[in-house]
Amino acid sequence: MTRLVRAEWTKLLTTRTWIGMLLGGCAMAGGFAALFTAFAGEGGQNGQAFPAVGTPLYEQAAFAVSANATVLLLILGIIGMTQEYRHRTATPTFLTTPRRGRVVVAKLVAYALAAVPIGLLIVAVNVLVVELYAGARGAAPSISGDNLRVIAGAWAALVIYAVIGVGVGALLRSQVGAIVGALVYLFVIEGIVFRAIPVLAPAIKWLPGGALEAMTATLNETELLEPWQGGLVLLGYGLLAALVGTVFAVRRDIV
Amino acid sequence: MRVEVRGLTKHFGPVQAVSDLSFTVEPGSVTGFLGPNGAGKTTTLRMMLGLLKPDTGTATFDGAPYTALTEPLRTVGAVLETAFHPARSGRNHLRVYCRAAGLPLSRADEVLVQVGLAEAGGRRAGGYSLGMRQRLALATSLLGDPSVLVLDEPANGLDPEGIQWLRGFLRHLAHDQGRTVLVSSHLLSEVEQTVDRVVIVGAGRLVREGSMEQLRSGADGAGTVLVRSPEAARFADVLRTDGVTVTQEDSALTVTGSTPADIGRRAFAAGIELHELRSRTSGLEEIYFQLTAGTEQFAAPYADSAVPQGATR
Repeated sequence: MTRLVRAEWTKLLTTRTWIGMLLGGCAMAGGFAALFTAFAGEGGQNGQAFPAVGTPLYEQAAFAVSANATVLLLILGIIGMTQEYRHRTATPTFLTTPRRGRVVVAKLVAYALAAVPIGLLIVAVNVLVVELYAGARGAAPSISGDNLRVIAGAWAALVIYAVIGVGVGALLRSQVGAIVGALVYLFVIEGIVFRAIPVLAPAIKWLPGGALEAMTATLNETELLEPWQGGLVLLGYGLLAALVGTVFAVRRDIV
Repeated sequence: MRVEVRGLTKHFGPVQAVSDLSFTVEPGSVTGFLGPNGAGKTTTLRMMLGLLKPDTGTATFDGAPYTALTEPLRTVGAVLETAFHPARSGRNHLRVYCRAAGLPLSRADEVLVQVGLAEAGGRRAGGYSLGMRQRLALATSLLGDPSVLVLDEPANGLDPEGIQWLRGFLRHLAHDQGRTVLVSSHLLSEVEQTVDRVVIVGAGRLVREGSMEQLRSGADGAGTVLVRSPEAARFADVLRTDGVTVTQEDSALTVTGSTPADIGRRAFAAGIELHELRSRTSGLEEIYFQLTAGTEQFAAPYADSAVPQGATR
């Protein structure tokens, strides 16, 4: 299994996809942090003000924006799995490892481990921007207590979303289909539909988006799971997708 | 290592791709796996290698199915696909499979040299020509120094020089190194000088299995024999009474369903003078065409209907 994981790392590092996702993630985490800090304390619409620099609400929300980059780690995982079908490397890959479930497991492990340093860099950029900008505006947040929990939660969420990406890729096999499907689900189905229909709203905390929110502090008032529960729920979705994908999709004929 | 295919059957929806196909591939020789497009060659090879699940039947390598091999890359090398990740260099592509199979990374450079791609190894595979892709695919199959090689249309996209090189290379692997080589092609002429044995399929069924010698001799009467005789008309009658199909054109007879030896014996027995007696089956393509005639999946009408079936080019 070790050599299969290393093979997946070689695949990952010999194309430039990961660099794009890393830079994009850093830009998102740093950019949103800068925006959030710039508008901190300003009056928003409906009289709701952005929380001011120095308040716990601001600090946790500013650290939590790293979690927005989960979508890029999700796509990284999806590409990692589906490129085998898109570029038809599934043939040599499954010739080398005829027990295909081992390939999926290796990808899950490889992308989870690869997402650890990638996620750390993204979180680090976010923390750096928040500390410098908020510091310049008068109050550099401390990296401890709840703040530290939010940072760690965002980091863990980035790692787990890479695992979900591999799982979704194994389930759908089509690269475009998996990416579009995942984005539509996250931003339209869960982001809009579930929130718009009151009956469905209580289910949100059990869904991937709600579980992600649970891992980081947010401004939303929806009732959420504990952070560790959210992490487990997310990991569960990723592994379930990988398992179902392995049984029903990956084992299918490679024509 | 002996490869045995027994009763392989596969359908895709309503299409019966392969039907009860059995054949054996012997070590130390190059076996040609021949058939027109759509005859089920690729489907068979993919079933042999565990990429497609057969409806019924087995394919084994010294008794073990591919999926049960502990080190498949060190046992069987396969060229099925000339697609690669376009952004990954040829060398890195090979390194991926070195890692996965637990081979030293230096094997990547060794096989690049072996197939003549050493110069291009650092370039992105997306920029490779079809011939270079074939060579990279071949290099991938050689990584584990396997005792069996399975190649699906490896000559596609190779220039004449490349085909020449491939012929020598495959013969070297089989004859000098004792490996088992199975190479598919839809053109007999392409592999004619390379293969020792042939397995010919048409419409998913076995049409002929045997050595090239057997195929050449037209042992079962598939070939035609050309006879010239001053007594052509009389000889034609003699042959016809024996139930052999004969067409006459002046002093020349074209006999189908027989062999030169048989015709010679009949002529001798009838006391008929012959001026020429030769097998026209030196045109192997003709035999191949006759064997697989009517089995093409995408048969097109002849552009010129005056061209008789089996006409040589």
